[in-house]
Amino acid sequence: MPKQKLNPLPSAAFQILLALVDEDLHGYGIMRQVEDQTDGRTRLGPGTLYSSIRTLLEAKLIEEVDVPTDARPGSERRRYYRLTSAGRKLVRSEAERIADLLRVARSKRILRGAHV
Amino acid sequence: MFENIYAWLMRLYPSRFREEYGEEILQLFRDRARDEKGFYRRLRLWLDLVADLAISVPREYYYFEPELIGASADQRLGGLPSFVVIEGGSPRPEALLSGGVLTMLVLSTCSIFLSQAGHYTPRRTFNAASSQGHRYRDSSALGGQPSPSDSEVGNGTSQFGRSVVSGRALRAGEASNSEAEAFPPDSSESSQPQTQRPEGAGNLGMTSASKVDATERSHVIHAAVANLKQYYVYPEIAQKTSDALLAHEKNGDYDAVKEGGEFAALLTKQMRDTSQDMHLDVLYSQEPLPEHPLGAIPENLERYREYIEHNNCTFEKAEILPHNIGYLKLNSFPDLSVCEATARAEMNRVNDAAAIIVDLRENRGGDPDMVMLLASYLFDHPEYMYNPRENTTQQCWTRSPIPGNKLADKPVYILTSRLTSSAAEHFSYDLKMLKRTTLVGETTSGAAHSGVFHRIDEHFGIGIPETKPINPFSKSDWAVVGVEPDMKVNAADALDAAIKLAQAKLQKK
Repeated sequence: MPKQKLNPLPSAAFQILLALVDEDLHGYGIMRQVEDQTDGRTRLGPGTLYSSIRTLLEAKLIEEVDVPTDARPGSERRRYYRLTSAGRKLVRSEAERIADLLRVARSKRILRGAHV
Repeated sequence: MFENIYAWLMRLYPSRFREEYGEEILQLFRDRARDEKGFYRRLRLWLDLVADLAISVPREYYYFEPELIGASADQRLGGLPSFVVIEGGSPRPEALLSGGVLTMLVLSTCSIFLSQAGHYTPRRTFNAASSQGHRYRDSSALGGQPSPSDSEVGNGTSQFGRSVVSGRALRAGEASNSEAEAFPPDSSESSQPQTQRPEGAGNLGMTSASKVDATERSHVIHAAVANLKQYYVYPEIAQKTSDALLAHEKNGDYDAVKEGGEFAALLTKQMRDTSQDMHLDVLYSQEPLPEHPLGAIPENLERYREYIEHNNCTFEKAEILPHNIGYLKLNSFPDLSVCEATARAEMNRVNDAAAIIVDLRENRGGDPDMVMLLASYLFDHPEYMYNPRENTTQQCWTRSPIPGNKLADKPVYILTSRLTSSAAEHFSYDLKMLKRTTLVGETTSGAAHSGVFHRIDEHFGIGIPETKPINPFSKSDWAVVGVEPDMKVNAADALDAAIKLAQAKLQKK
């Protein structure tokens, strides 16, 4: 069991899991991906990022990958992280939970836009 | 350079975290520093990093905390103190060195402060006027004779007789007594009736290191008001005085007062200004005031008894001088229940004198019953003696005539000094007012206070008169101003002057 709680899933942890859905990434890659997927609103600091990564590793939601498939020749040796099946399951359920919340919010006309 | 700065800041993280992710974190910093150039982006980078440190460092320590708590709890099961090793590796040599230097610095600073404290003699602010009355029966009864047990012995004295002074004030009174010996008073102060005056032998002054804040000031004011209304013998004046204090508080008159002694003196002055009663006072003691009377301790009582008997009840001399002048040097008015026999014996030794000199230059007070007994020898009929501490009762009359006494019609000279206090002033004042003596020496200390002590808190108390004594001699007594001698000479010359006066008087006969 991770020492830091993942229930409820912290925002940073969810963003990291989400960032790893499409590809294996190293720390800086994760940070950039999170920045992109939040339109620049969230830039995970190094401490926060690696603290969350450690928690997710302990919870076996992500795992380290030694040599990623897309590692460029000559680049520094880095730790890459990959989503585990448990992590994928968790990120999906968390996304669905948020989607449910969105539906409720829209039904209450708090948010505008298409039905989710 | 930036990387070095960040690497240094990373030391804030727990070492286990650094070991695990230090290199990754630094790599991430390098990546960002490489990609984020220009003033704005670089500034944003550093803001991000600082904010991240502020959030993640405490979280990392918290992260390790459960382990520590668990480890300690396990160790404590045996009931023994535990020592938990947090770090796995041994400390770096530079860490040991800086730790050693820091420890030396702290120890040196502490030792310097301690040595300074050793030289500092706190001028305990037992607010002059305040302690005067309250120690009426305290260690001053011992005549201020140096004794390692003075203070404790003094405690016992309050147990005797009808003390109007709460024993709760005695400890501070003792402090002032010892202080008195160390700080001779400035005689010029004796002409300032509304300021703190030296008490006994001491100008107690104000304590410098005694700060009071707004909360305590307010607490003291309201406690003083409550005590006045509850205890002061004149309710209308109590109301008027209380209103004045509260008005001063409302006006912010106390806001600038930061020291306890100064604050007590100001309150005392304002209470006296309003009430015209010199017996009201607020006192401040840097030493914590005991919550309960100390005088009631039987052990102290017994020690007082032993001390006072060992010192001939502070009758230092009782002899006949040339020209048959009796000379009685009395350094306190000791408790009557202990010293009546001694007092009578000493008076008998000078019974045949043609004139008598009572030397009170080192007498700082004591028991009013002893005052009455000795005064009884100087009259051939009961005489009323005013005592600001007592309601007018039968106790206020001398026991004259005393069988076999021959001193009732002999000239009496009392020697005074600025140390002469309290009960000794009671004796001097009344005999002067009754025109039964000639006072020779200096103006006395002005320790007339009759207030009953009420403790407000650890450092403040208030003395409030609770009796309505009748003073047939004058509107005011010796409170604050002291007793003026008939013949003003330096205390050191008083005996010679009195002898000359006595000789002249005797020659006329």
